[in-house]
Amino acid sequence: MEAIWLYQFRLIVIGDSTVGKSCLIRRFTEGRFAQVSDPTVGVDFFSRLVEIEPGKRIKLQIWDTAGQERFRSITRAYYRNSVGGLLLFDITNRRSFQNVHDWLEEARSHVQPHSIVFLLVGHKCDLESQRQVTRQEAEKLAGAYGMRYIETSARDAINVEHAFTELTRDIFALVRSGEITIQEGWEGVKSGFVPNVVHSSEEVTKSDRRCLC
Amino acid sequence: MSDSEATAAEGPEVQDASPAEMPDSSSPDNATDVAPTRKARRRPEVAPAAEAEERPKAEEQPPKASSESTVAQGGWGYWGSWGKSILSTATATVATVGQGLTQAIEKAETSLGIPSPTELSAQVEEEEKQQGEAGSETDKAAADGSTAVGGAMGMLSSLTSVVQSTGKTVITGGLDALEFIGKKTMDVIAEGDPGFKKTKGLMIRNSTLSQVLREAKEREELQTAETESSDSEKKVVAHYGMLFDEFQGLSHLEALEILSRESESKVKSVLTTLSGDELVQLREELEDIKDSFSLVEFDDEEVDERKDGDGNEFERELTKALEGLNVSTTADKLSKACKSVNGQISDMTQPGKEEEESEEVEKKTLSVEEVHAAAIRSLAELTARSIELFHKLAEMILFSNGRTEAGVLSQLTVVLCKEISLLSKKFTSCLTTAGSNEKGDVLNPLITGVFLEASNSASYIQDAFQLLMPILEISHIQRRAESTEQ
Repeated sequence: MEAIWLYQFRLIVIGDSTVGKSCLIRRFTEGRFAQVSDPTVGVDFFSRLVEIEPGKRIKLQIWDTAGQERFRSITRAYYRNSVGGLLLFDITNRRSFQNVHDWLEEARSHVQPHSIVFLLVGHKCDLESQRQVTRQEAEKLAGAYGMRYIETSARDAINVEHAFTELTRDIFALVRSGEITIQEGWEGVKSGFVPNVVHSSEEVTKSDRRCLC
Repeated sequence: MSDSEATAAEGPEVQDASPAEMPDSSSPDNATDVAPTRKARRRPEVAPAAEAEERPKAEEQPPKASSESTVAQGGWGYWGSWGKSILSTATATVATVGQGLTQAIEKAETSLGIPSPTELSAQVEEEEKQQGEAGSETDKAAADGSTAVGGAMGMLSSLTSVVQSTGKTVITGGLDALEFIGKKTMDVIAEGDPGFKKTKGLMIRNSTLSQVLREAKEREELQTAETESSDSEKKVVAHYGMLFDEFQGLSHLEALEILSRESESKVKSVLTTLSGDELVQLREELEDIKDSFSLVEFDDEEVDERKDGDGNEFERELTKALEGLNVSTTADKLSKACKSVNGQISDMTQPGKEEEESEEVEKKTLSVEEVHAAAIRSLAELTARSIELFHKLAEMILFSNGRTEAGVLSQLTVVLCKEISLLSKKFTSCLTTAGSNEKGDVLNPLITGVFLEASNSASYIQDAFQLLMPILEISHIQRRAESTEQ
C-alpha cells in the first residue's frame, strides 16, 4: 500500500453512454482492456497514483459515471466534489460529439460554486476508418471552451496515460499557483501526507488537521 | 482520567436502559437497542429522535411484545455472546491500564447483575487450561456450539451458553454492557492509537460516517508514512481505515451519503408544499417507512449452529434477501469476497493439508500478527463491499422507482451483520490457536482489535442502512405522485 502522496485529486469522467468511459479508466487503473463490459450503474470508483515529477505523486480518485440518460438524475448529484474531469466522446459517433456542449453545461452548473478543469477526449482513435469527427473540429471546440484535446484508445493503449497525466499536471499547476485551494467540506483536492525526510515545505500547504475534540 | 469519570456518569443511564423492571416491553426495546445506541455515538443528531419514537411504542403494545419476546431473546443471545467475548477480552486489556476503568466496569456490571470480570476471567483461565488438553479437537468443538468446551472456540462458545442459560435480564444487561464495554475498549485502544482517538473525538461531533472513516484513514496514512521513513523493519500492521478506502468503501459511502442527503431535502421540500389531510396522510405513510427502519430484527436459530465453512450459506441468504432487487453484479462481488475470506480461514484452521502442499511450498504457520492483519483486511473488505451494495441499491431504488420494501433491506442488514460477526469469531478462534504460545498481553489486544473492528463494521453497515431511509421515502413520494397523475 502506498501512502505517500502530495495531493489527492478527485476526477469525474462523463460523456454519452458507450463512448468508452469505463474502458478508458480500466486501462488506466488496471492496465487491461475488457472486450465486453456491462453498462455502468450510477457511479463506480477507481484510484491510481500518478507521478507528475520525480518523487511527486498525486493520488487520483476517479468517479466513473453512467452515461445512460436514465441515470442522469442520480449522476448529477456526484459532480460537486470533483476538481477535474475527462469529457469523452467517441470519434466514430458524431452524436456523442454533438452532446459535448450539453455535458459541459450540465457539469458546470452542478459544480457551483466550485469550478472544474476539463479535458476533452476523443476516444476510440484506433478506429480511424470509421471516424466521423475530425481532429480539427474537435480541437476547435475544445479551444472554444478552454480545454485541451487528446485522442485516446483504450484498446490499443494510445495516449491513456498521457490524458490522465496532462489533466493532473494542469490541476497541480492551478493548486500550486493558488487558483485552486483546499477547502473544508469539499473533496475535490485533499492534501496528502509526506514523511519529514521528503518534505519540501512550500509545496505542501497542509490543511488544518488539529483534533477539535 | 476524565474518560473514566465520563463513563461512570453514564452508569445510571445504563441502568435506566435495562428493562429489568418492565419485562413485557423488554424485547422490542431491546430489539432496537443496538442500532440506535451505536448510532448515538456517531450521529447524535439522528439518534435521540429515533429513540424517542421507539420507547413509547414498546409500551403501547404489551401483548404483542410478550409473544415476540421469546424469538427476540434467542436472537439477542447471539449478540449477547459477542458482547461477552468482547467483555472478557476487554477486561484483560483494562487490567493493564488502570484501576479507574476496572472499577467503572465492575460498577456497571454489578448493577446489571452480570458476572464480574474476575469471575469471567477465572472462567476463561479454566477454559484455557482445558483447551490445552483438548487442543486437537478444535473443529469438532467449534461445530457444536452450545456444548463446546475446550478447543479454540471454547472460550467464546461456552461463554455463550453461560449467557443463554442465565436468562433474559442478563442478556439485556449484557447488551448494555456491550455498549458500555465497547466504549471502554475504544478508550483503552485509543490511548495507544491516535487514529482511534481522532475517531472517538469525531464521534462526539456532528459528523457523517464517511468523515469519521476518512479521518481515521488519514491518521493511519500519516502513521504509515512516518513509520516508512523512520523504521526500516517492516511490521505486519493492518489499518482498517486505509483498507476500507482501498476497497473503495469510502467512496461508495460518500456517494450514498450524497444521495441520502439529496433525497432527504427533496422529501422536506415536498412536505412544505402540502397541507391539511394530504400532509397528514403522507406523514403517516412516511412514518410507516421510518418504523421499518427502526426495527431491525435479528433472525436467530440457525446462527449459532451453522458453520458456513465455505460461505455458501451466506450466499444463499444474500440471494434470498436481494430477490427482486436488481443488483446482482454487486452482490456477486460481495459473495466472492466472503468466499475468499472463508477460504483463508479454513486454510488457517487446517494447516496440514499435506496431499496438496508439495514440500517446497511448505506452509508456515501464520503469526498472530498475520492472522490479525488478515482479519482486519477481511472485515474492511466485507464492510466496503456491503456499503457498495447499499449504494448500488440506493441508485437502483432511485431510478427504477419500483416498490422496495424496507423489510427486505433490514433483512439484508441482518444477514450482513451476522456474517461479519461470524467471521470475527472464526478469526479470533484462529488467533487463539495461532497465539497459544503467546502471552496474554500480546494476544488479547489483537483479539480485542478484531472484535472492535467487527463491532465497528456492523455499526457502519447499520448506519449505511439508515442512509437508505430518505431514499425509500422519496421513492415512495414519487410513486405516489405517478399513481395520482394516472
